[in-house]
Amino acid sequence: MANPIVALRAYRDGLHLIIKPHLSIAEVEEAIQQEISRMNRSLSGTSVQIVLKCPVLEEEEISLLRSKLQETYDLTVRGVEVTEAPVSAPIAAAPTMHTITPATDSRDSRDSEPSRIVPHTIRSGQTEEFPQGSLIIYGDVNSGSEVRAGGDIVVLGTLRGSAYAGMNGRLSAVIIAMDLAALQLQIGNYMHRPTVSQKPRGYPEIARIGAEDVIIVEKFVKF
Amino acid sequence: MGRVIVVTSGKGGVGKTTSTANLGTALALLDKTVVVVDADVGLRNLDIVMGLESRIVYTSMDVIEKQCELNKALVRDRRVDGLMLLAASQKNNKDDIQPEQMKAICDKLRTTHDFVLIDSPAGIERGFRNASAGADEAIIVTTPDVSAIRDADRIIGLLQNARIEPINLVLNRFSAELVGNGSMMDQDDVLDILNIDLIGVVPEDSGVITSTNRGIPLVYEDGSPGAQAYMRIARRLTGQRIPIPDFAQKGLLNNIMNWFKKKK
Repeated sequence: MANPIVALRAYRDGLHLIIKPHLSIAEVEEAIQQEISRMNRSLSGTSVQIVLKCPVLEEEEISLLRSKLQETYDLTVRGVEVTEAPVSAPIAAAPTMHTITPATDSRDSRDSEPSRIVPHTIRSGQTEEFPQGSLIIYGDVNSGSEVRAGGDIVVLGTLRGSAYAGMNGRLSAVIIAMDLAALQLQIGNYMHRPTVSQKPRGYPEIARIGAEDVIIVEKFVKF
Repeated sequence: MGRVIVVTSGKGGVGKTTSTANLGTALALLDKTVVVVDADVGLRNLDIVMGLESRIVYTSMDVIEKQCELNKALVRDRRVDGLMLLAASQKNNKDDIQPEQMKAICDKLRTTHDFVLIDSPAGIERGFRNASAGADEAIIVTTPDVSAIRDADRIIGLLQNARIEPINLVLNRFSAELVGNGSMMDQDDVLDILNIDLIGVVPEDSGVITSTNRGIPLVYEDGSPGAQAYMRIARRLTGQRIPIPDFAQKGLLNNIMNWFKKKK
């Protein structure tokens, strides 16, 4: 099961230590220990980037973490970055188990968001961007084009270009297309490259972040 | 008032110049007055394909620089009445011409001719902008391969932004054989992506190469599948309703099958 507070991820630029909303620094330390022991190989000598997806830690807490990582696991901290946390979840109210599922930050943010309708096909080289909310496209999104939205992306046609939903960090954002044939999907910071199949599936599909923190694409039945 | 049509594609080598030469000639054979304009300044080719290379005295650059009158720069094609060529300058490059200057030339030509066909250079830069500046319609030439189609898609977007409509599609170098064995997109696949009107399908025809080298557009010699396809497109441009034949159904076996089907 994925650790609810801390995640270790390998990216192109090296390891990322992602820290999500939590109750106390002690809890974070415990979670780090669990996460590292879960990995079967030694991380000794490697460097790690700390990515904060939570309300920012105190300066001294970070330096505490830094020295702790160095001493206990021989991990060098490359840097600390703060990515925008999901706006919800004030720490005190957060349950100990905070997993990101489409249901957590819920319909509310979706309902309060504006959406924009694009009543035509988006062609190669064109970009449609709407950071304030969701995009609904009455047409195709062709190969070589890009759609980006703060909220959801709904394509009432074939999605062949790249789509980036939840560009402001709303991880409950989804991408729905009548025919989802995109080469690249992105929701929040998560990226997905679906395996390309030549044949259209013949049913609409939805892409969203699943419980395992990866983008899953499945048949769209209902929301 | 004549119609100004830009023939363009985005990608190079898909048959813009060949299509311009053949459609221009075909329209003239249908008793229309036509000017074909080479907008590929610095890399002109239309004159060679039309076989008028040796007769060029003035180019569009000379007209813009007011070295000569516009109608003096037009080269008359002696093989058919009503066909003219406005050549591009080979010495200059595309930045030497402004879109407004091209538009002025097109606006003048449309008062005296039924059709002005502009042969656009490849690319989406200045040359393309010059070529499309004076146009009110467009013909997109594409081959049925993904790279040409993506470029065509890009060009269609740019033309739509410039409010150039209608945009018609010519699907060039179509091979029934390759479609038959599943290694080439058929016209439905292409139209599904590009979502514009198809005005014609030109089958792969090796006669194109010889006709280019000899400077005699294909349509002069009737009978080849390419020539027939261009004649049909020209008729459609003049407003005639002619169905697009289903090339994918050709081939000896299919013909025999169809013959049997008809008998039943």
